Amino acid sequence: MTARALSLFRRAASRRDVDMLSPLQIRWLGILLVCAQLPHAINLPLWIAVFGVALVVVRMRLATRDTARPGAAPARIPSWALVVFAVITAFLVRASYGYLVGRDPSVAFLFVLAGIKFLESRTARDGTLVLCLAAFLMVTPFLFGQSPFALAAVVPAVLAFGGALAALAARSPASAAAAAPRRSLVAAGKLIVQGLPLAALLFVLFPRLAMPLWGLPQASRATTGLSDTMSPGMIAELTQEDTVALRADFDGPPPPASLRYWRGPVMSRFDGRSWSATLARAEGSLVPYAGNGVAYTVTLEANESPWLFALELPAALPRFTDAGTIADVVLTSDQQLVARRPIGQVRRYAQLSMLADRHPAGPRAATENLRLPPGTNPRTQQLARTLRERHADDRALIQAVLAMFRDEDFTYTLAPGVVHPRDPVDGFLFDSRRGFCEHYASAFAVLLRGAGIPARIVTGYQGGEYNPAGNYLIVRQLDAHAWAEVWLPGQGWARVDPTAAVAPERIERGLIGAVGADEPVPGRLRDASALWAQVELRWDAMNDFWNQRVVRFNADSQLDLLERLGVKEPDWRVLGLGLTASLAAFFVALSIYLGWKFRRPERDWPARLHQLAANRLRKRGLVPGVAEGPVAFLDRAAEACPDLARQLRDIRGIYAALRYGPQPTATDLQRLKFLVNGLRP
Amino acid sequence: MPASRVAALPLAGVERARERFLRRRPSDGPAVTLAHARIYIVPSRRGLAVIGTLATMLVASLNYGLALGLVVTFLLTGLVSAALLHTFRNLAGLTLRPSGAGETFAGARIAFTLGLDPGGRDRVAIELAPRESSPKVVDVAFDAVPAITLEVDAPRRGRVALGRVTVSSTWPLGLWRGWSYVHFPLEGIAYPAPEPGAPALPPGTLAADEATLSGAGDAELAGLREYQRGDPMQRVAWKAVARGRGWYTKEFEGAGGGGPVLLAYASLPRTLDPETRLARLTAWVLACERAGRSYALSLPGLKLPAGLGREHRREALCALALFEPPGATRPADQRVRR
Repeated sequence: MTARALSLFRRAASRRDVDMLSPLQIRWLGILLVCAQLPHAINLPLWIAVFGVALVVVRMRLATRDTARPGAAPARIPSWALVVFAVITAFLVRASYGYLVGRDPSVAFLFVLAGIKFLESRTARDGTLVLCLAAFLMVTPFLFGQSPFALAAVVPAVLAFGGALAALAARSPASAAAAAPRRSLVAAGKLIVQGLPLAALLFVLFPRLAMPLWGLPQASRATTGLSDTMSPGMIAELTQEDTVALRADFDGPPPPASLRYWRGPVMSRFDGRSWSATLARAEGSLVPYAGNGVAYTVTLEANESPWLFALELPAALPRFTDAGTIADVVLTSDQQLVARRPIGQVRRYAQLSMLADRHPAGPRAATENLRLPPGTNPRTQQLARTLRERHADDRALIQAVLAMFRDEDFTYTLAPGVVHPRDPVDGFLFDSRRGFCEHYASAFAVLLRGAGIPARIVTGYQGGEYNPAGNYLIVRQLDAHAWAEVWLPGQGWARVDPTAAVAPERIERGLIGAVGADEPVPGRLRDASALWAQVELRWDAMNDFWNQRVVRFNADSQLDLLERLGVKEPDWRVLGLGLTASLAAFFVALSIYLGWKFRRPERDWPARLHQLAANRLRKRGLVPGVAEGPVAFLDRAAEACPDLARQLRDIRGIYAALRYGPQPTATDLQRLKFLVNGLRP
Repeated sequence: MPASRVAALPLAGVERARERFLRRRPSDGPAVTLAHARIYIVPSRRGLAVIGTLATMLVASLNYGLALGLVVTFLLTGLVSAALLHTFRNLAGLTLRPSGAGETFAGARIAFTLGLDPGGRDRVAIELAPRESSPKVVDVAFDAVPAITLEVDAPRRGRVALGRVTVSSTWPLGLWRGWSYVHFPLEGIAYPAPEPGAPALPPGTLAADEATLSGAGDAELAGLREYQRGDPMQRVAWKAVARGRGWYTKEFEGAGGGGPVLLAYASLPRTLDPETRLARLTAWVLACERAGRSYALSLPGLKLPAGLGREHRREALCALALFEPPGATRPADQRVRR
């Protein structure tokens, strides 16, 4: 047993010596790795990207040096160095991200690890491992984004994968020649094109998971334009981003801009300077869906926050048309849609809303929303008391505040400057009088609270751009907005947008329509010529198409497709069946074709009969020589076996006639069969 | 029908199937064209590793809902599947023909020749591996009809079969190994290994009646006669040839110890085992050929008249190779089965 194990070990050891990677193979693996690493370059910290690629380049340089000095011992990195490298990498990744378990550091670690493994690669087995690491590295960039560019960036790696495989498999001069860079890239491209039908079939029919098997990796940074705190007056200048927050397809025409309030985080707590969202645990009740409701589908970009946006007010929980279920989302008592997990990827959901600006709520909510820290913003509180004295009616008081914003010298601007850091509301209302939505909403809510009317801030998006190219609405981060809600006895919460009083065009025409020429908004939005705007909208429509047809092609789209193909009540079993049936049909067709192509040649009866005769003559010790033809063999046999001589000479004669005669006949063949069958040596 | 035959029938079927799959017997005819029915394909070790990685990529992409991850995974799956068909195509339609078996001394390697017909398509990195012998990797251009020589160890004298040859290929990506067995009834002959340090040749004591080639002794030059085809090269009167007088063969007056040597199995000491005797006879045959002395071979049940030259040498060596010593197990049955 031991000896056997030892011999096996020796064989393995000697094998390893045989299967060393050639410099060409190492170069191919290096090209593959760099191609697989490059798509990550924008997702990783610079030093990690540089370090990972540098390891690969160093190994390739060593291989080049080996080729230059054929006699010298090939480059070899001691294995302990790898452990050291790996530990240092883990340490640096930890230092760079602040944590180790998570999406970004894991990908960074894998990225460098592939380089480290490659650095010590010497044998064909190492090559296989590097190959597999590179393949896995190819899917990880999509954790960060799934744009068409992300896919295009991976295509070189897919090609290089084919090239590296061909180089590793080269065993003969012809296959080594085929592994030369250009030829093997062409060959790999050909193989990929030939595999495309199968790839497309799998993509369309392979059943998707309705629920993830394990948790999604969390990103470290929030990327939304909204947050759960708001500090008006503390921000000198608001730089607006024009990245897309969400897109919405309406079943009918989209509602007018002034009604497009996308409800997000609700902020009830005020400390004198900042508003913050309280986590409302209680579940709210949905407003009933009635005649003037709208139905639409939202494609929400990944924002790493838990809010799902719906037009005010949501009349149903979102129905995800991709992975995920209703149970993942709750409606809080302040009418927010909150997901249990942050939205780490593009999500798509069907949503129903009532275009209402008021909804009922219990008195408890009212008392919570009256709190003002005593002593803060004294001038504002004083003004509120004055207003209360002047207007006994809540509505009249609200109208008075809005009239103040509208009639006095308040300015809507995105660059208000910092005012009075201790009492920012006082600073805004009495000194600067310059601000954007947050300032107006905040001042409004503080004034009302001071006057004894429950009020709170609602943030979200307002408006959105209609894209005729794709018949949908684009809502961008610069559409982020803040407005107020007041509680009126007997009516519940009512929406009041103080910004509309000072800058109605912000509500009607969006941000660009509201701000002056020197405001910090992206220039290309403001200066958009008609042509450029067209191009932009078309490009966005293409992105939307990509998102829906490729990135969001999921279980739901699959079932939809099957339904359109006429399958009633499709489920994943039908998909699996369809996939299996298509593959089976393909392979059956293939084997029928191959069976036809390599069908047995028509039987050569004289040859078979001669073979049979020769087999029978084996008994007499007669074997046809390698270079001996049937005629010569039968002659020799006839001489060797006088008792069979007549029969054998007959067989020989007919055989020769069938083979070489002018007109072989079927009768001859029958006679030959008869004679050979009767041959009994 | 007897009961035993009924019971044997299914077994015979199994045996036939086994034979079809494994080709243990030399059942292949004069030419074999590899077709789908006899080409087998399984993933290579690297193929398994890549398929496992693809499975991991698939699960990860499904779990994280990465549609583009699935796109890449399925693209690579397509690549791997296409490679499967190419591996198959590299073998299918390739024709192999047995074209020759060599002869050698036991202990050396015996050469077999197979003719390859690529069937009008380039064949890349085809491996031909006889059992228990190192494989040979060849490329065959679409218009070439090469003869490939495979060498097989011949450890003992007797017939040596080429045995089953595995024709395989992992081209183009090394992810799949396609193979096919061919088993031609090719047999070469291994002569006994000559005894090292064999004693000197026995004296030429052959009686006249045993020497059919009369006067073929090598004692005294008796004269010249016209050269006839088949005369040993050693007897050619080269001086005459060099002078341009034509081809003559020297004739000798056979006498005394200079006559044809009789190499007789029976005259060797009985204390020697049969194989040693055959080895000594082999050494003597070679010595006679070197010395240019004609010799006759006598084995129990076989007598080879005196003679000299390539044909004679081959006849003698073959007789020694295939000789079955009386009473011993027949070496012809000990032929190396592969």
